[in-house]
Amino acid sequence: MSRMDHSNRLPRGLLVATVTLALANTLPASEPARPASITGRQPRPLDARRDILPWIAAYCSECHEGDGAEAGLDFEELLSVRPFVKHRDEWKNAAFLVEHRFMPPEDSKQPDETTRRKLVDWIRRQLSEFDYASVRHPGHEPARRLTHQEYDNTIRDLLGVDPRPASRFPSELSGTSGFENSANTLFLQPVLMERYIGAAEAAISAALPLKPTTDRQRKAMRRLLPVMPSSGTTDREAATRILGRFLPRAFRHPVRPNDIARYVDATLALCKSGATFERAIRDVMQAALVSPSFLMKVETTVAGRTPTAVSSHDLASRLSYFLWASMPDERLMELASGNTLQQPDVLDTEITRMLADPRSETLGTQFAGQWLGSVHLGTRIRADPIDNPWCTESLMSAMRSETAMFFVSLVRDNQPVTQLIEARHTFLNEELADFYGIEGIRGTRMRRVELKTPQRGGLIGQAALLTVTSFPGRTSPINRGRWVLANLLGTPPPPPPPGANELDEKLEEREQLTRRHKLALHRKDRRCAACHDRIDPLGLSLENYDWFGRWRARRRRRAIDASGRLPGGPAFSGPAGLRAALVKHRHDSIVDQVIRKLLAYALGRQLEYFDEAAVDDIRNATKAAGYRFQPLIRAIAHSYPFRYKQLRVESPFR
Amino acid sequence: MTHRYAISRRTVLQGAGAAVALPLLDVMRPFTEGADRAAITASESVANTTAASPRRLAYLYFPNGAASGSWDPASIGADSRLQKLNPWMAPLEPLRDRISVIRNMWTPEGNGHGAGTATWLTAGDFIERRIDAGGTSADQLAAQLVGDQTLLPSLELSMRGEGFFSNSLVRNTLSWTDRNTPAPRDVEPRAVFDRMFRRGQASRSERSLVDLVLEDARSLKRRSSLDDRRKLEEYLESIRRVERRLAFADRRLEASPKLKRQLRRPGPGIPDSHQDYMRLMLEMIVLAFWADATRISTFMLDHGQSNRYCNFVDGVKGTWHALSHWRDYDGKTEDDDGITSWSSAEEKQRMYNLVTRWHHEQVGWFLERLASIRENGKSLLDQSMIVYGSSLSDGHAHSEDNLPLILAGGGGGSIHQGRLIKPRRDVSMSRLHLALLQRLGVPVIRFGETTQPLSLA
Repeated sequence: MSRMDHSNRLPRGLLVATVTLALANTLPASEPARPASITGRQPRPLDARRDILPWIAAYCSECHEGDGAEAGLDFEELLSVRPFVKHRDEWKNAAFLVEHRFMPPEDSKQPDETTRRKLVDWIRRQLSEFDYASVRHPGHEPARRLTHQEYDNTIRDLLGVDPRPASRFPSELSGTSGFENSANTLFLQPVLMERYIGAAEAAISAALPLKPTTDRQRKAMRRLLPVMPSSGTTDREAATRILGRFLPRAFRHPVRPNDIARYVDATLALCKSGATFERAIRDVMQAALVSPSFLMKVETTVAGRTPTAVSSHDLASRLSYFLWASMPDERLMELASGNTLQQPDVLDTEITRMLADPRSETLGTQFAGQWLGSVHLGTRIRADPIDNPWCTESLMSAMRSETAMFFVSLVRDNQPVTQLIEARHTFLNEELADFYGIEGIRGTRMRRVELKTPQRGGLIGQAALLTVTSFPGRTSPINRGRWVLANLLGTPPPPPPPGANELDEKLEEREQLTRRHKLALHRKDRRCAACHDRIDPLGLSLENYDWFGRWRARRRRRAIDASGRLPGGPAFSGPAGLRAALVKHRHDSIVDQVIRKLLAYALGRQLEYFDEAAVDDIRNATKAAGYRFQPLIRAIAHSYPFRYKQLRVESPFR
Repeated sequence: MTHRYAISRRTVLQGAGAAVALPLLDVMRPFTEGADRAAITASESVANTTAASPRRLAYLYFPNGAASGSWDPASIGADSRLQKLNPWMAPLEPLRDRISVIRNMWTPEGNGHGAGTATWLTAGDFIERRIDAGGTSADQLAAQLVGDQTLLPSLELSMRGEGFFSNSLVRNTLSWTDRNTPAPRDVEPRAVFDRMFRRGQASRSERSLVDLVLEDARSLKRRSSLDDRRKLEEYLESIRRVERRLAFADRRLEASPKLKRQLRRPGPGIPDSHQDYMRLMLEMIVLAFWADATRISTFMLDHGQSNRYCNFVDGVKGTWHALSHWRDYDGKTEDDDGITSWSSAEEKQRMYNLVTRWHHEQVGWFLERLASIRENGKSLLDQSMIVYGSSLSDGHAHSEDNLPLILAGGGGGSIHQGRLIKPRRDVSMSRLHLALLQRLGVPVIRFGETTQPLSLA
């Protein structure tokens, strides 16, 4: 039934770790503490080397050992890693698979029940009892290129024109990391370099044509070329003034005089070889746009073996790419140059200013769009336009905007994060309102609408999100349930274990059953139930939305049964019930997930075990304020990993 | 030396550009035998002046496998001679003597829609957590070791994805510049064309400007941490490669000012018709091989788990991936779209096969194009080695052994074609890669786990 869900597993793909950050509550909690043994004494605690290693050697190492270890996991080696939680995702998964008898595989030697239980409990205890506050490491990401979106925005803010050349670059691919700004998927290949060269040329000609014709061009000219050689100004003086201003902006940090001199010399050399000054200065500016200092985020602060506070200019860049997905503006650069940006109150004032700025819309279009998945609508998920003439580009664009604008409205209005679920407003234009069956909205402009219908409200009920979790032409309760668990709550189910499909296929042969029935039968198998008991009831509660997010009361002439249940929690019915249940029973998960996602996006990397202390700090700092968005964003900007960097001793990932 | 060849090749282009109208390169026009023949004769007479012809290598990948039976020839003669292909392979029948059907070959490490795609050319296993394909892909290895003889070391193309997984890294990556670095793919015909034939205005930039940014990179490198240095090295390497490419482009455009005008540049964006789009992309490879802009190319006829609607094929409904699960015909699995259903497994399997056959038609067209272009008395197809196949065998069984594979082209007289290549036991695709790399002049004695090239003579 869920072959598609399962089909991205690796070959004989055991224990493939989800890279989505799994949380402590991903899995059912460990069993309650065991009673003391009959004699009243505590049982001897298990020891990794003495007790666990022999079990792993006996039951795991046949496949999971050495260079060719299955799924790249050598458990004997992982066991020796300190701290143990460094590979917590892998261990968490391993415990799950062993507990539910997916591992060892059926045709391998099996541990007896007691050993199995002990092994699982031991792993869980190592993970849950670790004192995350004992690790304080700010982490570090190497220099990375700008994302295509950041590139376009930076060109816009640097030059004052908006040619958006990156829209024709080879598309950005996402690995397992969630956000496009993760350094580990941003490669700078020659094919891209070719595009950068062409784009730099196009951008400079768009901003600074030799003969400006529009007001915008004349304005850009005055700003970028404030002085030209004249009787009182030599070529060198003019070039020095132009580049002395342009290069620090383009590179987002102060540029040393001899570096500026190199650019000035290059300008003069071009003039000498026959180019006019007008041409030469443009060529040199164009060259600056393919410099690594422009194309990449290279911080001036060098990471070392001890934690180092990032420089004020690096902090300005971190902040502007976090909140604007673009370069710092003049004011941020000034504060950085004056070394005042690090002062807590100055930083806070700037954040407030930046969030009010239109550029912070990228928190909706980029951050929320990638976190929740709405960016994929219309690009990779769309209806066949021939059979579905109603599915217009403008409708899909309105659907994406709804989610983005909704998110930004919560940030700008400084709402508590739970408003993501229970807000009673959204953003619509006429086409989208008609699609929802909401009356009285006219025109193409997206505007805020207070909702009266219980059918919509909060993220659940936004068509973009309901569509990207469906299959073409039909809903997928499994995808939707997984989306709620993984994206909203940060508690993803483990990746599908091997052999999951076979049961599905047997079930498929039994026709005449409703989907709810089939899913129920599917869950009768206890191995499937281990995950699907948690996934399916959530997805099934959203069956009133069709595959493109339209409301429906019936499906195939039967009334929709939208009853659902939270994992291990109370039953409810329909989207309104789900919203109430989430806010009431999953408040902490939602808060944690927003913190984690925002922090990962702000840092441009996946979170690691050593970030847990920072997550705690941010949570504690915003609790009193009722977990509102602005204090939360401020706390992230003040957090240890955002302001510091330190080399990772040895990275398990590269 | 091959490099000297590249210069004489430019002379050829100059001559050809000046002498004939080059309808052969009229990329937007459908293939017309007569017009092309005229051009071919003309260019052949010029091309005859060159001493040697280089070999070319292309990998054409298609997803979702092919139904069992659809890849087995109907009749085999003595010496494994292909006597008759089967009805599903009919579009390749005219090319029977210039292709070999390969059976009993697989990639033992990584399989399926994701890992199978990512490792089709690497011989490794795929570890998603680390973005690790286990090795450099065969095409990129060739590009790195012998790609400096042409304008572009290699060309990576793909049809633009539709539906789920269209931006999934693992399903969209065949080529790896090293085990951790995927090579991006171009999906727009015009962008590919421009890379080969348009002088980027940036090439006007003088040496001093390149030095300027190289110095920026070096100066940053001196001041940065180890991790950053690695990233800056990536930057430097990219600049060096592009620089080299621009030098090539400059020289050629100097040699042949008319070439640019003679070639018809494809329009922007993606053609509406899927067939026009695919043929235009294939034509870019023909063009690249003809002009010797590159000798190495990969083309993904779709991403590794294509859910594209295949209604553009006569008699077919539903998405490709759904069709590949042909035994589920009631239209009710999660792979289905909820609208499309079939009356029987046989009907669905037939549609699955029709999609395979449709792709044979396009690839057959491409091979004919290569066959129709003469170079030194041989056809471009004779000089080429084209691997066409998938990383799954029967899509429903999701089986990973016995991959559907065809090897086309004479490899410069080094491949005995028209055969069924069917080893008794499953052999690794690494052996095929090794055999082809060696024929291309790549100095390797090992690929993946093997040191034994597959015998193709």
